[in-house]
Amino acid sequence: MDAYRRIQTGKTGDVHMVVFKDKKILDDTTLDEIKKEIATLLGKATGPDVLLDFGNVEFMSSAMLGLLGQLHRKITAGHGRLKMCGIRPEIFQVFKLTSLDKLFSIHKDAPAALATFT
Amino acid sequence: MVGVDVLIAEDSRIQARILQKRLVDAGHAVRWAENGADALKLARERRPDIIISDIEMPVMTGYEFCKAVKGDPALRTVPLILMSTLSDPIDIIRGLDAGADNYVTKPYDPEYLLGRMQSLLSTPLGDPTQEATLEVAVAGQKFRVQAGRQQVLNLLVSTFENAVAKNQELIAANEDLSIARDRLQQTNAELSDLNERISTINARMIRDLEAAAKVQRSLLPPDDATLPAAAVAWRYVPCQDLAGDFLNFFPLDADHAGLFVVDVSGHGVPSSLMAVTVGRFLSPKVSEQSLLVRQRPDGTVAVAPPAEVATQLNRLFQADEFSGLYFTILYGVLHVPTGRFDYISAGHPALLHVSADGPPAYHGAEGFPIGFVPDVEYAQATLQLAPGDRIYLYSDGVTEAMDKDQNPLGEPALADCIASTRGQPLEATVAGLLETVQQWCRPNGPLDDVSILGLEWRPS
Repeated sequence: MDAYRRIQTGKTGDVHMVVFKDKKILDDTTLDEIKKEIATLLGKATGPDVLLDFGNVEFMSSAMLGLLGQLHRKITAGHGRLKMCGIRPEIFQVFKLTSLDKLFSIHKDAPAALATFT
Repeated sequence: MVGVDVLIAEDSRIQARILQKRLVDAGHAVRWAENGADALKLARERRPDIIISDIEMPVMTGYEFCKAVKGDPALRTVPLILMSTLSDPIDIIRGLDAGADNYVTKPYDPEYLLGRMQSLLSTPLGDPTQEATLEVAVAGQKFRVQAGRQQVLNLLVSTFENAVAKNQELIAANEDLSIARDRLQQTNAELSDLNERISTINARMIRDLEAAAKVQRSLLPPDDATLPAAAVAWRYVPCQDLAGDFLNFFPLDADHAGLFVVDVSGHGVPSSLMAVTVGRFLSPKVSEQSLLVRQRPDGTVAVAPPAEVATQLNRLFQADEFSGLYFTILYGVLHVPTGRFDYISAGHPALLHVSADGPPAYHGAEGFPIGFVPDVEYAQATLQLAPGDRIYLYSDGVTEAMDKDQNPLGEPALADCIASTRGQPLEATVAGLLETVQQWCRPNGPLDDVSILGLEWRPS
């Protein structure tokens, strides 16, 4: 049973997997809900390992980057690791344009990303 | 009324029981039959003092039963009350014709029924066979009714009483209605009061928004702004009343000009408040807040290198303190005598450089958006302009402008557009680019703020 509307969740070893369900992450409401659902998922865990899967996402606003930045700071502050995968080229452009491809740990797909969490 | 012998004809066991209990409680003896035929049998076994009969019953209806009682010489003077829904005037005629002495409309009040019984028992009935036949017309039909005068009178009184009772119900219902109407009027008044308050608040919000938009316009260059030894043209089209984008250009000292385009993430009030806050730090006037210029001890003005400005901004605007909002900026300083352009890009789209003869080329500098990573140093890049060279700064509302199928305009299309207008004055090239963006976004229009700032270096 999946209790979330915007994200699909799972756990591989100690890594929290978050798959975004939306094809478009554009409006503030969607963004707010994603933010709340991830906060609920991670709860009070300090420094969890998290993998975000963008496989379903076709369009994403730059405001989503702000959310990713917050997550990144929060997770790394607790010595956890945040990684991302399944980012299609159009969306990777957004990361590249803002140089954030250098900040985030981005991998081709989930198996490739999981292999780096050792 | 002392205890009398009552016979009930009623096919509903439950209703019969209720009535029976009420009558027994009032001190009467009660017998009950579930149809007219059984009731007639009981009546003939022992003559009751009064009969109460339902109309709709199997085997023998109330009318038939009534007729049988009134046709029986031994029973005809026993008063008989019919319980009817009285939904049709014909019911009264049928009752009269059957020889009923009284009506009680269902549903009945037991006290009312007891009252009827008492008045019937206190007025002895005549023999209906001694009376003349009456002729009545109801609903276009003629009926010949043979009924005793006393019966007709009783029936008349009972229908009148029924009418009075119904009228009272009607009056009560009317009263309820007028109470409900009063409540409705009151609620309506409260509602229109609320509406008025909402429109007052709405008007205030619109005023606030307009005021905020005005403050935000103060972040933009004044209409008559110019730079020495350079032509400048710009366009700024917010997608909502309040935007996250802003741009400006101005002389910093005798030899330097500063120019920038800022794009705060998101739209609306939060982004615009952030833009205004950021704008105060990007002032060309020496002040405690300005990051662009500062005063040396000897009184002269020092222009801060763009990398230092970006590093300072990043220190001031960490996204976690601004509810996740961050911004991108391309800030450059032009050394007016030599055409040297030093700039930084904090997560901002690359600038487009157009030389006098070659094709347009993008130049970027790497750097995270402001607020993303604490204590990061920004790397400065340099572009050497030749006389007549143009540079274009813009927000991602230009390159990321989506057509109706969600395809972005993209960097190549932007370069093509600028290349195609190379022969025109700078102002026309900026106007042309905005036109291209707006055409691309048809029919919905841009969903992001669009900012364009073009500069042409013209040393004397």
